[in-house]
Amino acid sequence: MKMGIGEIYSLEALSENNTCIHKLHPRVKLLCAFIFIVIVVSYGRYDFLGLVPCVLYTTVVMALAEVPFSMLLKRYLVALPFCFLAGIANVFIDRAPVITIGSVTITAGIISLATILLRSYLCVVAVLLLVATTCFTDITNQLRKFHVPEIIVEVFEMIYRYIAVLVTDAKSMYHAYVLRSVKKNGIDIRHMGSFVGYLVIKSFDNAQRVHSAMIVRGYGRSGPIHLRMVRKMTVGDWLYLVLVPIVLLALRIVHPL
Amino acid sequence: MHMADALLSPAVGGTMYAVSGAALAYSVVKIKNTDLSDKKVPIMAVSGAMVFTAQMINFTIPATGSSGHIGGGMLLAALLGGGPALIALACVLAIQCLFFADGGLLALGANIFNMGVIPCLLIYPLIYKPIVKGGMNKIRITIASIIAVIVSLQIGAFAVVLETMASGITELPFSSFIILMQPIHLAIGIVEGIVTALIVSFVHSARPEILDQSKDGRKLLNKVKTKTVVITLGIFTLVVGGVVSLFASSHPDGLEWSIAGVTGDTELATKGTIFDAFASLQEKLAFLPDYDFAHGGIGGISGTTVSGIIGALITFAIAGIIGLSISIYKKKHKREY
Repeated sequence: MKMGIGEIYSLEALSENNTCIHKLHPRVKLLCAFIFIVIVVSYGRYDFLGLVPCVLYTTVVMALAEVPFSMLLKRYLVALPFCFLAGIANVFIDRAPVITIGSVTITAGIISLATILLRSYLCVVAVLLLVATTCFTDITNQLRKFHVPEIIVEVFEMIYRYIAVLVTDAKSMYHAYVLRSVKKNGIDIRHMGSFVGYLVIKSFDNAQRVHSAMIVRGYGRSGPIHLRMVRKMTVGDWLYLVLVPIVLLALRIVHPL
Repeated sequence: MHMADALLSPAVGGTMYAVSGAALAYSVVKIKNTDLSDKKVPIMAVSGAMVFTAQMINFTIPATGSSGHIGGGMLLAALLGGGPALIALACVLAIQCLFFADGGLLALGANIFNMGVIPCLLIYPLIYKPIVKGGMNKIRITIASIIAVIVSLQIGAFAVVLETMASGITELPFSSFIILMQPIHLAIGIVEGIVTALIVSFVHSARPEILDQSKDGRKLLNKVKTKTVVITLGIFTLVVGGVVSLFASSHPDGLEWSIAGVTGDTELATKGTIFDAFASLQEKLAFLPDYDFAHGGIGGISGTTVSGIIGALITFAIAGIIGLSISIYKKKHKREY
């Protein structure tokens, strides 16, 4: 329960900036992020050097979009442990020496660990940059344009908004619980049922009330209102959508390092 | 159990996207047919948000001093029924992937399958439902939840192993990976099963209509539909197994494989004066230019030199400098106005 609500929505807060990256069409950003990840993941498992130029892309976008590096790094560190565990095994198993610099021998396992870590950095940052530069409603409207079923998009939107409500509720319940118990750093498993169970009941009722209130005010009567606000692709958008994948593919194929 | 992009190959990621997409589409159609979709949406959303929140609440595991959190697939299924639970869980996973770097965008399909499709569409109708069918009570709910959660976590963990192996990124041998994953997830499964049982039986005793509602939704499905789910999933599993093993057999990944098909080599030959110029420049600048990475037997390393490492460092430095100068330029620019 360490994460505050401010932290949950901090990335979204950045998406209200107005830089050249923010101004790109959401479709372009969504597709480019996806293409970037597919290309990054397609590099071979020892291909550390091949991946390095990809760092250029994320760094440039990060700087242009004015996204603070520390914020991305913090989230990358959260994602790190599993990748590290899977990669560290390679170090012990794959001991074939590859290069020796002085008395230090670098094995294939170390290279593949480094590759996994760099690769996960690139993937994580690509996704976070997408979210930090695109409004939430832009993303969901784009999903609608991609013909994702309405019910999925709607649930997706609502979960995202309900999280704040639920975390606030859960937090105050948690505080109340901790204040009444001695020397505990979590909820006793015996009380977990009534704790979450009560949260379930409370929020089901809340959700139905909120939803009725929304319907009374006209929600869902004429389809999502902001869908009409999605703008057309400009020449710049098309250029970005064509050029970035070409450059990335070229890097993938030419392999400059 | 969230898989990261870094451990998946595009072929496996894409296949899993197709499978989970099909399962999601199936659930959407099913919900539309039951005609409860309007009422279900807020309930699904709030349950999803609840699972998200519940994952943030750590509970203490007695006698170990350590703490854990729940996964929530089976809990959602018990509250909402299989199809809606899958949709809600998929949305939770998407939000975790987009906003919290928990699991990757490419791995989303695999994660939805491992943590959503398996418990909601497979284990829930096959194990949970038959046990509580004869009438809900505390004992039945407890037994059903614990068994169902343990089984779905075991299968889920096994799926993670298969997907990782098919991607061929980790060196870990299949057997030791299995030995590592299954017992850990047995322990997690027991705890999560107990927690799920506690929550569901609390909701059952306090507000049984919440669970009953989803039961009514389920009544609209007859046995044939459950069978269809199982059969469809079975076919999909076979297809996936076939496709994945095809890709994983000898080719490191699809893109490299297709490049090899086009040019006869895994890397395109680079010709032309510019490349030659760069190559000679690189040779002159390179430190230990002819030192070869490749020592027969290591497939992926293709004759890279130490100069490459220096090149990598230089690229990092250039990236850093470009990034810094853009942000410095931007800051100055802003001050001017």
